[in-house]
Amino acid sequence: MFNGSAGEYFRIWIVNTFLTIVTLGIYAPWAKVRNRRYFYKNTLLDGHSFDYTANPVAILKGYLIIGAGVLLYYLTEAYDPRFSFIFVLLFYLMLPFLIYKSLRFFARNSTYRNIRFRFLGTLGSSFSTYLLYPILVPITLGLIIPHWAFEKKKFFFDNMAYGASRNSFHGRSGPFYKVYLLAVLTLFGSFFLGGIAVAIALRGMVDTLGNEGMRSFALMSVIVMYFVMLIVMTFFQQYIFAWETNYSWGQSRLDTVRFKSTLKATKLIWIRITNILAIIFSLGLLAPWARVRRTRYVLDNLTIISAQSLDDFTSAVEPDVGAYGDAATDLFDFEIGL
Amino acid sequence: MITFDGTYFDGKSSRAHPVTIRADETRLIIAGAGSDLSLGIPLRDCVIQPPLGKTSRVITLPEGAQCETDDFEAIAALEQRTGRNAGLRLVHVLESRWKMAALSFAGLVVCVWVFMTFGIPFLAKKAAYAIPPAVAENLSEQTMKILDSRFLRPSKLPQRRARTLQARFKKLHENIDGKQKYWLEFRKSPALGPNAFALPSGLIIMTDELVNLSESTRELEGVFVHEIAHVRHRHGMRSVIQNAGVFLLIAAVVGDITSITSAAGSLPTLLAQSGYSRDFEREADDTVAAYFSGRGWSTKPYQNILRRITKNMANFPGESLLSSHPLTDERIRYLREREKAVK
Repeated sequence: MFNGSAGEYFRIWIVNTFLTIVTLGIYAPWAKVRNRRYFYKNTLLDGHSFDYTANPVAILKGYLIIGAGVLLYYLTEAYDPRFSFIFVLLFYLMLPFLIYKSLRFFARNSTYRNIRFRFLGTLGSSFSTYLLYPILVPITLGLIIPHWAFEKKKFFFDNMAYGASRNSFHGRSGPFYKVYLLAVLTLFGSFFLGGIAVAIALRGMVDTLGNEGMRSFALMSVIVMYFVMLIVMTFFQQYIFAWETNYSWGQSRLDTVRFKSTLKATKLIWIRITNILAIIFSLGLLAPWARVRRTRYVLDNLTIISAQSLDDFTSAVEPDVGAYGDAATDLFDFEIGL
Repeated sequence: MITFDGTYFDGKSSRAHPVTIRADETRLIIAGAGSDLSLGIPLRDCVIQPPLGKTSRVITLPEGAQCETDDFEAIAALEQRTGRNAGLRLVHVLESRWKMAALSFAGLVVCVWVFMTFGIPFLAKKAAYAIPPAVAENLSEQTMKILDSRFLRPSKLPQRRARTLQARFKKLHENIDGKQKYWLEFRKSPALGPNAFALPSGLIIMTDELVNLSESTRELEGVFVHEIAHVRHRHGMRSVIQNAGVFLLIAAVVGDITSITSAAGSLPTLLAQSGYSRDFEREADDTVAAYFSGRGWSTKPYQNILRRITKNMANFPGESLLSSHPLTDERIRYLREREKAVK
């Protein structure tokens, strides 16, 4: 259950953004922790909230290291673009390591009833999930993408642990193939129909408009096509997201606890598109409202089914985890987590 | 003595223990309600987590245990007494009031404006002058390679005409800036039409189309001075750095939701960029006005060619759409004013 309010979050967001700018970015880690903690503390389960306990100083260190890397990249690129190729290669080699670190950091700093979550995936399987599969994508002409999506979900859900209890993931890659096939067919179908519609419209326009009018019309239709593409891609993304989330939770077991996620793709698409419009027309001011709205929908549709009481989980001992990975994935904006 | 109810978690199991907590001068005394739990913990070992919205307050205890409570007043009194969380408590006060949020928003707008109009141009200027010439040369070479392969063809200008113009150009740049290397090359470009541009290395490209459009050499000399000024004041490097700076600033402001707002975020970026290039064009035109007036020349020929270029541009829709040059009428008005002022 999600308890946050858009008004309250708006104030937190605007004050922290202001402080970040005024301090030339030094306050950014504190802002990040406060923003994220607001969502955690307002997520209630069985009367108790989650909590996010990351130390902003650790995140600041991560930002500084990543910032130095980015600066180095720009300098070498300005000096000789050939170097930047090596940099990009190095970055892709580092990526599985960063994802691995950031998942560990993210899990370790998430708590519920003062018991920490843990991420138990290995560095090796992070490399196979995030380096080997991307290499295989062009070789298999993209046919491996649904299986890769399955591996990513498995890497996350099969390795998450609440205290000493490890979650297990019982999904298979077969259903991923079915859903991706359906999504891709729908995608191509709508592009095909859209293309025909534009072609017919163009034909009619050529006759009625002169050469001068055609030029501005061509420009207009490029813009329209761009927006159509944006909307179609949103449909695709949200449909996949809804299905993958529902499926992954449905196939998860934490001891005797089971989960049920009942997201509807149509509702998610509606939320996403209206959110984008609201953000654009409010010049970004409605971004906090949009975030609260989407989070509320996703969390309100997640149910935990447990025969036993949630009192009997125990913690496990684990050493501290650095924040470099967390900062890196934040800077490069990867979708991790739920 | 501060007394409040709360929940105790030992950090070893997920069981919640309802407790009553009392705080005296030095210790926190935790007593289980209906159980034999009883703890006394020195206050200096307790960490009160900063307040956030209307969410429950957390006190972290030694050895991974913690207490949680919804009694905000009691915790506030405790914080007052121990003097903890002064900084983030202030942040919380700001976050709790709509008036403060509105002030923050106003402050944010002012900060962004100040950075865009003063901070970024100032830093970009400093940085542009600090960049070693080798970098500028390298960058220019790469840019030229791309332009040559896509938009530019070898010049068809008669050799003699080209040499005469280059001789004039040499004289101009020696008069304006003796230190930097400058050279002029011609290219034919059906794609760009009548145009001229400068690269940071000091290379200035003029299209055959522009040479053919001109009615006198004085007109082209105006364009030469304009482009020389761009190189001299490092406008190329500065605009690259400024645009990167604006991008970073926008990214910092809308950081949370990168994917959605990148579309909305590019609008202010574009506006800022066209504002910057306006300033640079103006500075380059200033140089033309100053140089021409210094020789006792009128800027009339330069105004004429500007007007002719604009008229001609109408045939190049892509160019007129993306053109960074401020409105020609405005530039011509400005040139006239400058000329008067110098006299």
